Amino acid sequence: MYAKEYLNKPDAFWKEILLTNEVKIELFGHNDQDMKILTFLVGLKTLWVLAFSSLSNTMAVNNSGKWWGIVNIASNGNVLPGTDIGPVPLVLDPSLQLLSRRQRRLIRQNPGILQSITRGLLSAIRECKWQFRNRRWNCPTGPGNQVFGKIISRGCRETAFVFAITSAGVTHSVARSCSEGSIESCSCDYRRRGPGGPDWHWGGCSDNIEFGRFIGKEFVDSSERGRDLKYLVNLHNNQAGRMTVMTEMRQECKCHGMSGSCSLRTCWMRLPPFRAVGDALKDRFDGASKVTYSNNGSNRGSSRSDLPHLEPENPSHAMPSSRDLVYFEKSPNFCSPSEKTGTPGTTGRICNSTSLGLDGCELLCCGRGYRSRAEKVTERCHCTFHWCCHVTCLNCTTTQIVHECL
Amino acid sequence: MSSDLSTLSLRKREEKDMADRHSWILDSRECHKLHCAAPKPTTSADFLAVKCVDIRKGNHGAPKWLIPWGRDRCASIRGFEEAASQEIYANDIVFSVHIPFQGQEMSPWFQFMLIILQLDIAFKLNNYIEDNAIVTLDVAMAYRDELSDPWTELARSVEQRKLQCAFHAPKTADNQGRSYECDVLPLIELGSVAHKYYLVNIRLPVHNVKKINMGIGEINDLHLVTIFQNGGFTKVWFAMKTFLTPSILIIMIWYWRRITMMTRSPVLLEKIIFALGISMTFINLPVEWFSIGFNWTWMLLFGDIRQGLFYVMLLSFWIIFCGEHMMDQSERNRISVYWKQVVPIAFGSCCLFIFDMCERGVQLKNPFYSIWTTDVGAELAMAFIIVAGICACLYFLFLCFMVYQVFRNISGKQSSLPAMSKARRLHYEGLIFRFKFLMIITLACAALTTVFFITTQVSEGNWKWGEYNIELNSAFFTGIYGMWNLYVFALMFLYAPSHKNYGDDQTNGGAAVSSAEELQLTTTITHADGPTELYRLAGKEAQE
Repeated sequence: MYAKEYLNKPDAFWKEILLTNEVKIELFGHNDQDMKILTFLVGLKTLWVLAFSSLSNTMAVNNSGKWWGIVNIASNGNVLPGTDIGPVPLVLDPSLQLLSRRQRRLIRQNPGILQSITRGLLSAIRECKWQFRNRRWNCPTGPGNQVFGKIISRGCRETAFVFAITSAGVTHSVARSCSEGSIESCSCDYRRRGPGGPDWHWGGCSDNIEFGRFIGKEFVDSSERGRDLKYLVNLHNNQAGRMTVMTEMRQECKCHGMSGSCSLRTCWMRLPPFRAVGDALKDRFDGASKVTYSNNGSNRGSSRSDLPHLEPENPSHAMPSSRDLVYFEKSPNFCSPSEKTGTPGTTGRICNSTSLGLDGCELLCCGRGYRSRAEKVTERCHCTFHWCCHVTCLNCTTTQIVHECL
Repeated sequence: MSSDLSTLSLRKREEKDMADRHSWILDSRECHKLHCAAPKPTTSADFLAVKCVDIRKGNHGAPKWLIPWGRDRCASIRGFEEAASQEIYANDIVFSVHIPFQGQEMSPWFQFMLIILQLDIAFKLNNYIEDNAIVTLDVAMAYRDELSDPWTELARSVEQRKLQCAFHAPKTADNQGRSYECDVLPLIELGSVAHKYYLVNIRLPVHNVKKINMGIGEINDLHLVTIFQNGGFTKVWFAMKTFLTPSILIIMIWYWRRITMMTRSPVLLEKIIFALGISMTFINLPVEWFSIGFNWTWMLLFGDIRQGLFYVMLLSFWIIFCGEHMMDQSERNRISVYWKQVVPIAFGSCCLFIFDMCERGVQLKNPFYSIWTTDVGAELAMAFIIVAGICACLYFLFLCFMVYQVFRNISGKQSSLPAMSKARRLHYEGLIFRFKFLMIITLACAALTTVFFITTQVSEGNWKWGEYNIELNSAFFTGIYGMWNLYVFALMFLYAPSHKNYGDDQTNGGAAVSSAEELQLTTTITHADGPTELYRLAGKEAQE
């Protein structure tokens, strides 16, 4: 009976399904002799595939952050699919096993975004490591699919930061790629009006940032499933990352009226440097609020206003805004290696013996003490720099005392 | 059954997905439809330059154009960390920008194109921006009209721009890698957009000995922001001009016919109103239509000149209008009487004209030129602008003084009005009425213009009005433009001399006007042969 309904759907719908499940295309091949039979067959097949994929979806409960794995596949030197030479059979690509159906569809519809997303992820990881370089948890990443380790399956502040910075990284990177011209479907084109159509000529279009946010939302959020507290918290933190990119943008203006006067003025928003986004998110990390599941979410189904939502654990605190990071679990102390939380501990970390802060040996080594050794360091000195790429330097060797946590 | 259920739930989700996507598309389309109704006057597009690597060593031979994307795209690097390992040097890097983006075309409807350069410079302790750093750019621009055509050079130049950057964090090792905040640098101004595709190639050549591009910090990215007029706005604007031209032209002809019907020669005030009409028509004339077909790069300059001419006329008109309503018994029917007020106008506008020729005039030859980039040029430009500003202040002082004098005379006359004979009284009442009337509408127009101007400066963007998204700026521009057209129209309509005689006044008034008064009237009134429309209105009012 569903097949009948499906038969009434327009062509676009079929294309959607056909493209969504590459397996099927291979099963069917290209024998478009008798469209009616084919359509019927496809209908039946789709039913089957839909049922199957829904089953597999319910089995794979926790996909959250699975897509981060693409960063390691990309760094292995594999050529990423979807370059502007033409569509590449996506089934063959190992990175796509990590992606959900919806994510794959986005990648297919917007050639070039996979590279952009990967780059965004890389800069997010770099920024995360930089922001946390002096803390016990220094944003460790590993090979394989579990890029950030087990910390992501928890709900502590660090988890919140990882979700926010990766989401911000994707938004930032996609917006950047748009203005570089490496994603064709940006700005005007996603309105499906054709090249150089009336839109661009009539009112112009420069929504690179909007497109970045749209892709960020669609792509990143779609790896979250469920209705539990963790789901809500992750979504909130993803949103916070995107919002931070938006709010860190700065307006610049240019006057170009009569004789260059300001009677005519055009302004535009400038994408912030990613460091600024990282700084802002780090501030939010320090002021993150602990949240719980809202109470009135228990009697579900009574009305739409009862949709599950977050509220601060301490009722006297204000509701977290869309730019605040939220968490629901106390952070582990990250001192000793732990299999359960997946933290490597601080043994072997370099610390600063004079600092009283988090990077000081006392705090960083969790009171276990540290060993000091003299090390010869060769540094470049008396350099002349060019604006890029070229430095002429002398080598200077100095002896430094290095402190290492026990 | 269970499979049915799961299919159902899945289908629901699928539908939700589709709905989400649709709502997004619909959303953007809808907002776009409203944009269509009122597009912004100008658009900006931000282009991030692709860092191409020019593999040919020595850069000799025919200029080679490096394209950022597409089939013949250049060999490029992502970031400059890659470059060091690949033995690529600063002189091999070419920043390449293709305008517009993939799948879009430029069009003559965009009227002009300004390109602004933005540099992302990171702070490094040992590689920082020196004081008064100057960046030297080897810029080349090319165009083509078909994607398969070869590129044709449009302009090429070596330009210097001053880097004005600030670093807000303390300059410590911890803050390495943070970005400077740099002022935008004007790069190119094109007075017409005649081609479909443009390509900009920028090199930042480095020379150790000549100290070229040394001490400019570590450049991470180069952005080009392109500003052009929206095609939709151009169309609305053209339509408006095309509609306004005949209306002003017709009223001008009517006005001049009225004047020629008089037995006397036209007086100064009439001449200046007519001149104002001519300058308004000059602005209105939709010459821009030709820019669609012809590559007229001087349109920006021409627009400035037209606008300047209108301002000169308007300012002169206000002075003369005040003078002619002074109501003291002196003869003023010559422009030379007003030299004190006209000289600042002429001098100020000359200054602005020279400045404009130095900026936009030279840009016709070299689109990369800007008077502000050199110290001498910037001082010269500043001097011109300051002189023009002083002239404007002088002018407004004179104008205010004259308005004050007129009001003083009016209050003097008003006290003696009842004692006057009817014809004289009517005459003075008419003068007072029409002066006050013009004062009010002029002040209203000026106030509206100022308010609109300030609003456009303060609030960028649009204004939600119920469901409609109103583009404030374009509304303001068209509104102000229409308003001043209406102002000129009203001037010509209301201040046209009447060809009718005092006829009915005489019959009603009865009493003959003494010859002494008659004489006085002819000297003071600029329209001795008959009252204007307004005068007649005032007269009728007075009779009732």
